[in-house]
Amino acid sequence: MFKKTHVLLTLVLLLVFSLAGNVLPGQHKAAAKEKHNKTLVMGTSADYAPYEYIDTAKGNKIIGFDIDVARHIADKLGYNLEIKDMDFNGLVPALDAKRVDFVMAGMTPNAERKQKVDFSDTYYKAKQLIVTDDPKIKKIEDLKGKAIGVQLGSIQEKEAKKIADKVDNVSIEKRNKVPDLVQEIMSKRFNAAVIEDGVAIEYLNKNPDLSSFVIPGSASAGSAVAFQKGSGLTEKFNKEIASMKKNGELDQYAKKWFEPKTEKKAEKKSIVDFSTIMPSIPYILKGILTTLKFVVVSILLGFVLGTILALFKISKVKVLRWGADAYTSIFRGTPLILQLLIIYNATPQLTGYKIEPFLAGVLTFGLNSAAYVSEIIRAGINGVDKGQREASMALGVSYGSMMRQIILPQALKNILPALMNEFITLTKESAIIAVIGTTDIMRRAQIVGADTYRYFEPLITAGIIYYLMVMTLTVLGRMLERRMSRGD
Amino acid sequence: MIKIENLHKTFGKNEVLKGISTEIAQGEVVAVIGPSGSGKSTFLRCINMLEEPTEGKVWFKDQEVTTQASKIQQVRKKIGMVFQHFHLFPHMTVLENLAYAPVTVNKTPKREAEAAARELLKRVGLEDKEGEYPGRLSGGQKQRVAIARALAMNPEVMLFDEPTSALDPEMVKEVLDVMKSLAQSGMTMAIVTHEMGFAKEVADRVLFLDDGILVEDAKPAEFFAQPKSERAQAFLEKVL
Ligand SMILES: Nc1ncnc2c1ncn2[C@@H]1O[C@H](COP(=O)(O)OP(=O)(O)OP(=O)(O)O)[C@@H](O)[C@H]1O
Ligand SMILES: [Mg+2]
Repeated sequence: MFKKTHVLLTLVLLLVFSLAGNVLPGQHKAAAKEKHNKTLVMGTSADYAPYEYIDTAKGNKIIGFDIDVARHIADKLGYNLEIKDMDFNGLVPALDAKRVDFVMAGMTPNAERKQKVDFSDTYYKAKQLIVTDDPKIKKIEDLKGKAIGVQLGSIQEKEAKKIADKVDNVSIEKRNKVPDLVQEIMSKRFNAAVIEDGVAIEYLNKNPDLSSFVIPGSASAGSAVAFQKGSGLTEKFNKEIASMKKNGELDQYAKKWFEPKTEKKAEKKSIVDFSTIMPSIPYILKGILTTLKFVVVSILLGFVLGTILALFKISKVKVLRWGADAYTSIFRGTPLILQLLIIYNATPQLTGYKIEPFLAGVLTFGLNSAAYVSEIIRAGINGVDKGQREASMALGVSYGSMMRQIILPQALKNILPALMNEFITLTKESAIIAVIGTTDIMRRAQIVGADTYRYFEPLITAGIIYYLMVMTLTVLGRMLERRMSRGD
Repeated sequence: MIKIENLHKTFGKNEVLKGISTEIAQGEVVAVIGPSGSGKSTFLRCINMLEEPTEGKVWFKDQEVTTQASKIQQVRKKIGMVFQHFHLFPHMTVLENLAYAPVTVNKTPKREAEAAARELLKRVGLEDKEGEYPGRLSGGQKQRVAIARALAMNPEVMLFDEPTSALDPEMVKEVLDVMKSLAQSGMTMAIVTHEMGFAKEVADRVLFLDDGILVEDAKPAEFFAQPKSERAQAFLEKVL
């Protein structure tokens, strides 16, 4: 039995290292041929069509109005362009942390943002629309007593507040992303949403049930490029924007991306329709590898660290016991997503090291899982008959050998179901890393949703994939359990 | 071989050993008897420092065991111990149980350790069980494997803590027979036991413990014929 477990362990380790080997170095290089010898890194949030989004049916390239403009300017200035995709709320922190050189994400300069970053002149002016599925809502006053949705931290949030000041009983609901707003309208949770014209057009094109009108006197917010405070790039970009405005190049790009497509007034689609997302399914499937790598590396890290912590917890040294208990208490006592955001955002701020999303995710999940694993292993060790320890000691076996070869193997056998449970939880919870932009299964499902304007189908696809992964783990666990119980 | 001087052991407020001094000579077989809770196990476990004495000294040959906490592993290698509840390693086969310590502690080559282990299994009459897991053995077989496991380290002393108390009556004899032949081969042994017949027959000396005090230290013939102390008399009346 001993040998077989070793073989299995070796296999797992090999798998992990081969996976880790091709994932740790830089995640996505710009596909463009390196035309220039300098590169600018642009941060964006690719779920804001037509400004920037991923055409998931065709691959994973980010396209859109902003991208065209950015490429144009970068090229003129003699730079290659590398694009980093992340959550909209992470863009300003990313500039702060010098992860990116500039940000283009249909971002409007407001006072809050201006405190942290510099803005270029506006390169596009948008209007704010009320988008609704209620044909009776035709003007601001019709919103009385209704719920309107806005993107959290956006200029539309301010616009909605102005409406709420004028009209009675308007409740404002906030979501992280525009697609969520539309989805909430479809699910009848919101009556309307404030969305920018360029963005709203796509939804209006694809969904005949939606109608819209311009908010009168709405701040005609302009999109501008954001830079680090005092960046030398601001001036250079302003010059290019001015010249693009003058020679009509900006208008051309705007026409390409913002003009409504006249060809379709789409036929009403059935409630569930996988055909729309069929071409995007391979895109979601690619997330399996990311999720798998992530889960395997996290589990391993958590297991090794958890074992060490468990040994601390049963050690005779008070400081170690206390430290391990405090560690567990902290990681079990705070939300995982909070730990993730702290590690991802605070690391660059405190140390200057721009931690990659994958690494930040693995660290968080590894550290978090270690807290739970250490409790499981501690219970397992305590569950091993004290006589085993005494028999080993009486034979002159050292503490290390005793733990590795006598106590832990027996403890592991007893706690295998609990450990398996922890690994399954970790696999499912791994979907949280979508928040920091790791393109795992979950994130890809969301991107496909934003691209195809269908939400149910990609989520169901992701759900099936997670379920199958968990089932595989469960079966593997049972096999391992059977193998380990041979001695009984 | 072993010298014990003024041994005290306290658990919390409970003083279990109250100053015990004695010696065990090379090749001597000593039976330790006494009522339940009198401190017999604790006494035995202080010899190889499974319990740390609160006061007093223990020597193994010329080494003082009690001061050399760091070298205790070296001493334990030379002192075999057999427990009431066997404590075999359940995830290892019988052969692995025997070869484990020699390979891990003494760095004996695996082949050599296994050959020696097979010899020992023959000696305790279990040569056909080497591939079995402990869970499949009877109590008597388990205890014989446990004795063989201790012997695999070539100890100079063997400590037994009620080796037959957990066994069904029909299995007691097979274990006692192994111990008897071990005694005859000249092994130094300290045996905590309730088997008075065995003590009388095999032991060179009897130590009678009561309430943490070494009340009598005598030849078995004398002790069992006419114990000097009242406590021993009372005890023998109950068990014989
Ligand atoms: N680890 C321990 N912690 C606290 N008290 C203990 C411990 N081990 C033993 N004792 C106590 O010490 C006393 C002597 O125990 P010991 O096991 O040495 O007696 P014994 O003579 O071997 O008894 P028995 O014949 O029942 O095995 C008992 O009162 C017991 O409760
Ligand atoms: Mg006892």
